[in-house]
Amino acid sequence: MERPFTVLQVSLHHPRLDPATFANIQPQLQHDTSPLLVGRGRDAHLQLQLPHLSRQHLSLEPYLETGRTLLAFCLKALSRKGCVWVNGQTLRYLEQVPLSTINRISFSGVQMVVHIKGGTSLEAFVCCFHLSPSPLIYRLEAEETDEWEGIPQEQPPPASGEQPAGHLGFLHDSSQTQTWNSSLQPSPGGGTEIQLQGEPPDRALC
Amino acid sequence: MTNGARSLQAALWAHTMSHFEDADTEETVTCLKVTVYHPSQLQSGVFQSIRFYSREKLPSSEVVRFGRNPGVCQYTFQDRQASRVQFCLQLFKKPDSSVLSFEIKNMSKRSRLLVGGRELGYLNKADLPHRCLVRFGQYQLLMEQEDGESLEFFETQFTLSPSSLLQENNGFPQSPIPEYGGYSPCSTHGTSPTEMDENES
Repeated sequence: MERPFTVLQVSLHHPRLDPATFANIQPQLQHDTSPLLVGRGRDAHLQLQLPHLSRQHLSLEPYLETGRTLLAFCLKALSRKGCVWVNGQTLRYLEQVPLSTINRISFSGVQMVVHIKGGTSLEAFVCCFHLSPSPLIYRLEAEETDEWEGIPQEQPPPASGEQPAGHLGFLHDSSQTQTWNSSLQPSPGGGTEIQLQGEPPDRALC
Repeated sequence: MTNGARSLQAALWAHTMSHFEDADTEETVTCLKVTVYHPSQLQSGVFQSIRFYSREKLPSSEVVRFGRNPGVCQYTFQDRQASRVQFCLQLFKKPDSSVLSFEIKNMSKRSRLLVGGRELGYLNKADLPHRCLVRFGQYQLLMEQEDGESLEFFETQFTLSPSSLLQENNGFPQSPIPEYGGYSPCSTHGTSPTEMDENES
């Protein structure tokens, strides 16, 4: 009996909404246990067409923690010029951080939310990609300072139980989103709020 | 000396100093020195693909693989008992550090990797100490890191040891070497050489 793969549900957003940015992304990608490369280069497994992106910008590396049976993942920054923002932490060249179940990642204007759903297969893992027309990473309005006010595209945090379309790839309105049919898509309503309270504004992200 | 000669000399001095100041500062490079030993290295030539003593420069972002498959591995073992990819090394940088560190990951499903005193199973990884003995099967690899300033490149340098690294009073305990034969917490001693290709099983 085949063991189920670990699934990385990857939601992507870029403010320019240029279809060419994500043109080379397949809806689903199966990858072995080598690091999955994200970048502009032809050797990148997740290839994004953005001029300021490095050819290899970051990697997602599967590994096993001692005594565990499910794959864990580690994100490493591979760009010498750019940086990668991961769950509130800024990574520079060759710095790495272990990922948790839900991860907020930003680099070169790209917002990426990675939701890891563990499977027992140690042969490979699967990435399911969702494109979101609306931002994936929200933060609460800061009340005590006005330095945040001039930021465009500011959105209030989603009310409890009200997930906006595109949030985390839990997208129900096909007219507002580009997504692919996939048997591995998450069930609706299983979303998690992603809010960045007190964290830097979007432009301060990588 | 005439005034013209003096001003010419001053101009030459200024020109020389300017070039000297503009020249790139040569960065030192992190070097991983690997001393290898296998009891049948002379008869079987397990290390014949490895270029000894010369330094090889590699990008810091590269994952360095050791194993039997020359199509995938930078450093190959000519040995049917070795896995296609036995283990890999990669560099990373700790946020509070100015130098690079290595981590090692076991890529073999059937063979455990002993890193210092720590046993790594399949896909387990660990930080590589600055000096430590890495063992699997009958292979012994003493890895020693020399720190450098460059973040872009690192170097490797291999040396062949004529004798066991455990017998040279290197400070490494002569604990049993993990044997081939099944990926289980209690590894059994292999009885005969077997094809170590987990992908074919």
